[in-house]
This record gives sequence, structure tokens and C-alpha cells, in this order.
Amino acid sequence: MTKKLLHKTSRAYLIFAVLILIIAAPLFYFLTEKLYIDDADEALILRKNEFLQFSIAQLKEADISIWNKFNRDIKIIVAKPLQKDTIFYSYYYDTLNSENEPYRELNLPVSIEGKPYTYSARINLVETEDLMKSIALLFLIIISLLLVGLLIINKRLSQNLWKPFYETLQKIEQFEIDKSNQPKLTNTNIEEFNRLNQSIEKLIERNTSIYHSQREFIENAAHELQTPLAVFQAKIDTLIQSAEFTEQQNQILSSLNDSVSRLNRLNKNLLLLSKIENDNYNEKQTISLYEAIEKHLDFFTEQAKAKNLIIKTELNETVSTNSNPVLTEILISNLFLNAIRHNISDGQIVVILSSNSLTFSNTGQPQPLVADKLFNRFAKSNPSEQGNGLGLAIIKKIADLNNWKITYSFADNFHSFSVAF
Amino acid sequence: MKLLLIEDEKELAESIRSYLKGNSFICEWVNNLKNAIDKISIYEYDCILLDLMLPDGNGFEILKELKRQNKIEGVIIISAKETLDTRIEGFNLGADDYLTKPFHLSELLVRIQALIRRKNFKGNNLVAYNEIEIDIRSKTVKVKSKKIDITKKEIDLLLYLIGNENKVLSKSAIAEHLSGDMADMLDNHDFVYAHIKNLKNKLKDAGCSDYIKTVYGLGYKWQND
Repeated sequence: MTKKLLHKTSRAYLIFAVLILIIAAPLFYFLTEKLYIDDADEALILRKNEFLQFSIAQLKEADISIWNKFNRDIKIIVAKPLQKDTIFYSYYYDTLNSENEPYRELNLPVSIEGKPYTYSARINLVETEDLMKSIALLFLIIISLLLVGLLIINKRLSQNLWKPFYETLQKIEQFEIDKSNQPKLTNTNIEEFNRLNQSIEKLIERNTSIYHSQREFIENAAHELQTPLAVFQAKIDTLIQSAEFTEQQNQILSSLNDSVSRLNRLNKNLLLLSKIENDNYNEKQTISLYEAIEKHLDFFTEQAKAKNLIIKTELNETVSTNSNPVLTEILISNLFLNAIRHNISDGQIVVILSSNSLTFSNTGQPQPLVADKLFNRFAKSNPSEQGNGLGLAIIKKIADLNNWKITYSFADNFHSFSVAF
Repeated sequence: MKLLLIEDEKELAESIRSYLKGNSFICEWVNNLKNAIDKISIYEYDCILLDLMLPDGNGFEILKELKRQNKIEGVIIISAKETLDTRIEGFNLGADDYLTKPFHLSELLVRIQALIRRKNFKGNNLVAYNEIEIDIRSKTVKVKSKKIDITKKEIDLLLYLIGNENKVLSKSAIAEHLSGDMADMLDNHDFVYAHIKNLKNKLKDAGCSDYIKTVYGLGYKWQND
């Protein structure tokens, strides 16, 4: 599944932010805790030093109980077996809050009036749970701010930064090489997009000019062929007058004749395709499709006789289109011809004209045709066939020109070509 | 009948001239605009065959020159160039017919005959051949002064055959003639046989001689023997 560019960047940002925060949270916790404890220890040592320097000398054994009475956090207690300072964690029950509070405690052996005592100083620590809670909360706030911020920034970016990109994209999507609407890409103040636009314009320009010269080539080639074809035809016409030929020679001349007329038709169809592409048939008018079909029905009925075909028609007389009359006739004729050409002896042709479509169905070979290349030039399903391979290409071209949709289907041994308008 | 052929392709011009020669036409040939203008200024022609793409200019110049000199010669444009615009321009400039290359010589011949008939008889024209009489305007055919039942297409075929008397007509040439605008759509020429057969029978039933000869493997020929 493809995603929008912006989704991708946002997602990357978000994943990165969350990852960093997840890693950073415990680090932050430990670091804070360490700093806090170091600080507590320092304070304890400071108090100890103060005590050793200022208090201990004046302290009498008799004062110990008073000392202990007024100092909540520094007490002189009965000697513990200690050699030197020890700092450790301890918990004391807090009667006011009725819970255990964590403390950092420093014990130190001292001697007061020659008797061994233990100096015990403590500092209340923040509860681990509280600390973790605060950090989690803090991080949650940071994450939410980041997310909201990123989304807003991304949205802004999509509207501003990527705007020229999407404009370009839209114009390229609308571009069709056979239509003369070369996209005009607007300049932006972003270098990359300008480069992109310039490259695309160059690419389109080059392709269009190649396309045009190729189109011109086909048209010119077809035009240039007209004269030698005319000479060829005229010479055959002259030759067959000149003497009595044997029947065999007649047959050779006859097939020469057929070939030249086939060449001729092929050439004319190529020219027709070029002309359609060159927009030579852009005049449109309202055409009764019923009349257009009826007009040539006789001709094609005659053509169909050779194969003994039955033509059935179901024509809605009121259907009309707004299209070029020449091309519409050519479309109908080619559909007719196609249905005759690829038919079998004693076959059928069914022509149905409904209010929004024209369908030619014909019997023919029992397998469906390969649909994907059907409408390409010279795409013949059977290379030995009489057709010149341009009929369906012409049909498609005309349909495209009018924004009609042409479809092929195969059912109940009938091949159907349907034009929806 | 005197024709002027204005065509720069020598081979084609020769074929046209040799084909027309047998049908009581005198066909003069020029291959450029300048000579053509010289000719039309001096002589009168029954028909001018005009190619449009000439080495020293566009064939439309001839049409303009004819107009300038108030000449009424019939002109058939024979051109490889075929767009609706050139056709319309040709007709607007006074051309009478337009034949796109390549064409069959037999087709050219009947077009010339039709044009000359139209010009000379102002549309009221009859074509007669021995016992056959064709009234082109009313689309009727009489054999030995008796009207026969005949379709438009058969009249067309009959005119084509008579017009090309003594010429061998290939099946494809006949098929293309009969199909008119739809000639490009032809897939096979078998229908020609049916038309010829019908026409032959109708003429025979009316007591007409058998003028339509079959040239085996190739086509047909109208011949009086």
C-alpha cells in the first residue's frame, strides 16, 4: 500500500521522537536520582564536617539527650560497631503521613568525652515512585506537545512547502501527449522544485517533439507513397489492356491488382489516423446515429452476402450524438467491417443502438480475443487475415476523441464491441 | 475531345494518356504551372486534369487563371493530397470534380465523360450505345426503346462499362467504382460478380446483345463484336 509522502515523513519523525523519549526516560530518571543522591550525600558530609568542626568539641555527654531532642535529623546515638563513615539508604516511618519515607543516612563513630558514640545524620529523599511519576508525566507532556507540533508543522508543510510539488503532479497527470495541451509549470522559490519542473518541461518538450515528428513522418510517408502507388495502379490498368494474356497471367495481374488496392487502403487508413491525430476533424454537429447506420446498411449487407451472414439490427431511432460526421461514419463503417471480416460463413451480426451505447456483436472464432493489445495498430489476432490491422486502432482513436468508451467482450460465442457515449 | 493533363509525374501522365487515347480523346500533357498557363491561354479544352502539387507552384493557380480569363473548361483535380479543406478550396475555385490518387484509369475516364456530358448538355443527358439508351437524369434505361427494370447501381455499372468500352476492367476497379465513398472499406470484391450477373441477365432478357465479356481470372470487358 502506498502512502502519501507527508505521512511517511511524519511517521518517521514520530517514531524517532517516541524512541528517543522511551530511551531517554529511564536515563533521565537514573541521572536525576544520582544527582539528587549525590547532592544529599554532599549535604550530609557538609553537616558532618560542620559538626566535627564546631559542635563536637562543646558537646558534653549530658547534652546528648537535649541535642537529640531538638535535632530531628542529626542524632547522637549509642555506638554502633563502626570503624569509619558509612552512607546508606534507610526507611523511617513518618507518623504524620503514616508511610515509610526513604532517607539517606550517614553514620560516623565519634567520641564524646572519651566515650564512643555514633553520629547519625539523615536527609529525607523524594520517593522513587513520585520521582518516576513526575518524570513520566513530564515526558507524556513533551510527547504530546511534540506530536501535536509535528502534525501541525507537517500540515503547514503540505500546504506550503509541497504545494508546488502537488501542482506539478496534477499537471503531469493531466498531460496527454497526443493533445496539444503542454502543461505550464509555475516557478517556485524552492530550488529543487524548480529543477524538477524544468526537467519535466524539458522531458515533455522533447517527447512532444519526437511524437510530433513521428506523427509527421507517418503522414509524410503515407503522402509520399500516394504517387508511386498511383503510378503502380495506372501501370497495371494499362498493362491489362495491352494484349491477350493467358489465364495464369491474368491471375497474376489480378492478385497484383488486389495487392495494390490493399496497399492503397492501408495507406489511406494510415493517413486517416494521422489526420485524426492532427485534429483535422474537429468540427462537430448533431448526428443521428440511426441515420448514419441506415445509410451504409445496404453496402455492408452486400458485403456480408459473400459470407452469407445475417445482419440483425435493433436500432433506437432517436439516438444522436454531437460529433464529427465524417469520423462517426468511419467509426460505424469500421465496426461493421470488423464484424464482417472476422465472421464465419453463415454467421450473424447483431447491431444494437440504445440510448447510450452502440454494440456490434458477431459470431467468429470460438475463443475470446486477447483484449489488451486489441486496439493497437497492426495488432492482428491472426496474421494471415485480410484486414490491415488499423480498423480497431481507428475505432479506438475516434472513440477517444469523443470521450466515448470502447469495450470488447465475448459471450455465447459472440464477440462484441461496444461504444458507450 | 481535347484534354489537358497537368501532371508532373511522367510515368503517371504516360499511362493516363495511353489509356485515354483509345477513347477518342486527344490528351496534351504539361508538367508544370508555367506551361499549363501558356496552354490554357491559347487553346480551348473540353476538360483539364489538374494535379495540385506542381514543381513551380500550386495547381490552384490554374483555377484562378481560368477564372481570370473567364474560361469555362471543366476541371478534375487529381491529387495525392486529400483533406476536406483542399477539396472545398478546389470546388470553391471552380473545380468540377476531385479524384484522389491513386485511382483507376477507368474511373478517371468515366469521370471525364460525366463531366463533359454535364458541361455540354446542361444536365439533360442521354447516353446511347447501339440498342441501349440511358437517361442519366431520370435514371432510366431503354433497350430497343423499351424501358427495363434496373437499379441505380446497375445503371452506374452500365455507364461505367460502356464508358470504358473495349477496356479490360479488373474486379477491384469495378468494386471501387461501385462503392464510391465506401471504397476504402472494401474487404473483398466478390459482390461484383453478382452485380455483373444481374445486369447481364436484365440486358439479355430485354433482347440486348451480350456485350459484357468475362476476362478469365481478371475481370470484365464491354465489347461489341
